[in-house]
Amino acid sequence: MLKKTLFGILLILTTPLLFAESLDKDDSAGAKLIRANCLGCHVPTDKGLSRISEQRKTPEGWEMTINRMRLMHGLKINKGDLAIKGSGLHEIVKYLADNQGLAPSETHGVRYLLEQDLNQIETQFDDEFTTMCARCHSGARVALQRRDAKEWNYLIDFHLGQFPSTEYSLFGRDRNWLDIARNKMVPLLAKKYPFTSEDWSAWVVAQKPELEGKWILSGHMPGKGFFSATMKVTQNKKDYYSLSIEGNYATGEAIKGAGSSVVYTGYDWRGNINFGDISLRQTLAASADGQTLTGRFYQKGQELVGMKITAIKDTANTNTRLLSVFPSHIKKGQTTTLTITGLGLNSASANSLSLPASIMVNKVISQSANRIVVNVTAKDNAPIGYVDIQIGGAILTKQLAIYKQVNALEVVPSYGVSRVGDNGGSTPKTNTLFRAVGFDYGKDGIANTADDINLGYIEAVTWAVVPRDEIAKKDKDVQFAGQMNSNTGLFSPAAAGPNPERYRSTNNAGNLNVVAKLNENDEISGIGRLLVTLQRWNNPPLK
Amino acid sequence: MNSNFYHTLLLSGVALLLSGCQSLSTKEQSIISTAKGSEKEFLITVTRPNTTLHVIDLQKNEVIRQCDLPAGPGPGTLVMSPDNSIVYILTDHFSEIYGVNIDNCDVVFSTQQSTDNIRVKSIASIAISPDGKEIYTHQNRVKMMSDHYQMLPPQIAVFDTSAGLKVKTSRTFDAPRQIATMDTLESGELVMGGQDIFLMDMHSGKYKVILPSLNDVQPGYSAKDVLTVWQMGKVNNEFYRMYSRAKYNGKEGDLSNAEYIWGHEVVNLKTGEAQAKDFGPLKGVLFTSIRRPGQLNRVYGTLNDLNEYDSITKKLIRSVDLPHTYYCINFSHDGSKIYLSGALDSVAVYDPDTLKKLAHIKLTGDGSMSTSIIFKRKG
Repeated sequence: MLKKTLFGILLILTTPLLFAESLDKDDSAGAKLIRANCLGCHVPTDKGLSRISEQRKTPEGWEMTINRMRLMHGLKINKGDLAIKGSGLHEIVKYLADNQGLAPSETHGVRYLLEQDLNQIETQFDDEFTTMCARCHSGARVALQRRDAKEWNYLIDFHLGQFPSTEYSLFGRDRNWLDIARNKMVPLLAKKYPFTSEDWSAWVVAQKPELEGKWILSGHMPGKGFFSATMKVTQNKKDYYSLSIEGNYATGEAIKGAGSSVVYTGYDWRGNINFGDISLRQTLAASADGQTLTGRFYQKGQELVGMKITAIKDTANTNTRLLSVFPSHIKKGQTTTLTITGLGLNSASANSLSLPASIMVNKVISQSANRIVVNVTAKDNAPIGYVDIQIGGAILTKQLAIYKQVNALEVVPSYGVSRVGDNGGSTPKTNTLFRAVGFDYGKDGIANTADDINLGYIEAVTWAVVPRDEIAKKDKDVQFAGQMNSNTGLFSPAAAGPNPERYRSTNNAGNLNVVAKLNENDEISGIGRLLVTLQRWNNPPLK
Repeated sequence: MNSNFYHTLLLSGVALLLSGCQSLSTKEQSIISTAKGSEKEFLITVTRPNTTLHVIDLQKNEVIRQCDLPAGPGPGTLVMSPDNSIVYILTDHFSEIYGVNIDNCDVVFSTQQSTDNIRVKSIASIAISPDGKEIYTHQNRVKMMSDHYQMLPPQIAVFDTSAGLKVKTSRTFDAPRQIATMDTLESGELVMGGQDIFLMDMHSGKYKVILPSLNDVQPGYSAKDVLTVWQMGKVNNEFYRMYSRAKYNGKEGDLSNAEYIWGHEVVNLKTGEAQAKDFGPLKGVLFTSIRRPGQLNRVYGTLNDLNEYDSITKKLIRSVDLPHTYYCINFSHDGSKIYLSGALDSVAVYDPDTLKKLAHIKLTGDGSMSTSIIFKRKG
């Protein structure tokens, strides 16, 4: 160890500092740590340091690299949390993601992986890419890196060096994997995901959004339902923020909490925040104008249990702006209470709440700058379909639907994976959350036609799991694989390990269907798929 | 060699103290010792987490010896010295081979496949020369440079079994990629199972295809897929591996009406004759299969079921559920008993005529993903 350190120091003292000026001169903690820890192996080049300066990655991508250096190549640095400074790892990742990250546009379409929204079926990649790259990990993991051909080639070497079974496993052994990787995949990747890009060059010099201030957000908390809240963001130093949040669930229950966040690459927000006793992680992306944050909050340690989030910024000169309405549907002839969330809702113009004539406002229950709660009735003769809500000059388009009946429920995700865990093992259980989206088939009463009306989440459903096929029935998968919460749609898998009570002593795996039944009419139901399977032993931040 | 075995057994009490060998009791020792002159059959397999060898007396269906190896865990792939005194185990995450004297648990041989900055992994590829003087592996190599990895061409490595511990390669030969299952012909050539089956001259290193597999695409059939990474044909003196393929019952490449088939590729280790043959319908996944000694048209396969096929009629004859997964199937030399192993903590004995379970041999540790080897020795 001492020898290694001395070798590193010697290199620093004797190597001409030829590498790129930004890394050479930068006095950030991350740049200093890179200079102090990486020069033993990475040599100065005209771009900076070999390998390091020739790739661009997301914060999680760099985190994986630094962790690999820690675990396999002797880097002596503390592991850390992307949202908390001071670990050493965090500072290095911060420097690298800021200086060699991805432009916002370069993450479009694959942010689900950063958001840990993993119950996805990737359909955007072609067959050969999927077979070569995305049979062991997500395609998004590849699409969130930028390299030139030389660096993509190094990645091939790394794969076969680190994971030699790549060539022996299914869809590896049936082809000349290495030839295809070198001669087809590398050129394709270098073209599709190049190190240099116009988008990145433009983002480097772009004005970055200012994120300090007050944000209004809403979402649908697992197990609790719709909420809206105000998040105050206080900058401690550039890119580092303290957070406090106050708000309410639709049930009236109050939300109060605090947290912190870090912004990478000028827009890419990673935070921790508590909603009362619920600890959540935040992965958000700021819009270029700094007026909107979009992304996902998810439970710490249970990434599949989360919610999509949109937040809008409340600035002093904000005109009226609408964020959301809950519930997102009213049945003809019924009375309900709508919560409308937005900005500037108590200004003079806000008094001009405008709903379609088919909806009668019975009473404005409360009104504040960020929320109007209003009791309404949809008339018996109201035409079904989407309606707009207008307050002052702001319009919330097609977020509220008037419907006649729920004709169908769609279970989302349509295919969820849950994993057994615990029971003395190193890997915790992986829960999966399902939600039900309602549909009215519209005037024609026919499914999958243009007039179908998406009603949004339907909460009044009852959840269950059933065997997906005869084998699952015979093997009693429902009994062994775990528990579905009939109210919330949260599936908690069973314990890991062979189960002597099961046929063939098999693990508590299960091949299940998830069924959501409408409470008011249990003939209306939706079906999703749930695979309860074994633990992931390798759990990198980007799967 | 037989006298050596007997002599060693007499000394084993002393050896126990010196080697850390964990013989179960002196009673079993004496039972073996009194078996002088009669040939007995033994099974060896490996369990984890401590990479423990288990030597099982198949007359009594009892573990008679356990040896903890100085190796990291990993699937154990086994070959036996010609005199059946030393077992060579490729383990430690497919990294290194340890040669263990099964009479006293002494580690008499080990390799140092990875040297300097070159890391080597051998995916279940281990074979021994007919005279026992050399061990062969197929090496997947990566050179770990200061800031990047550099793939090196794969090679066959030769190790001198008399060279002791941490033995480095004595010679190497260029080899095809993706080699797993290996064995040697009685004449000394190395049989290598990869995309096809190759034969290498171990003096010149020249190799040729003796049985095309992935490249044996026949009209009306898909390409063959070979999952097998273990050589389980030793009791028949043959190199043996399974393949699966689809038979199209419509347009070429149309899987909608295809039927799936198991087959095997066999190389006679005495003659070098190689042949491929379908043996039955693929209804469920098998991990290993084996031909019944004395009735080579009867094929038995295992994973979650124990299946018996007739390779003449290409039909599934019998199938029984297994109490749990067994990855590895093996046979007694006379074809009278099936031994299932390679998962959890047991070896199960089955009757090949009825597929009824005959015995259950409890192991300490988990035999997941390890091969078994069955051999005979005189006491």
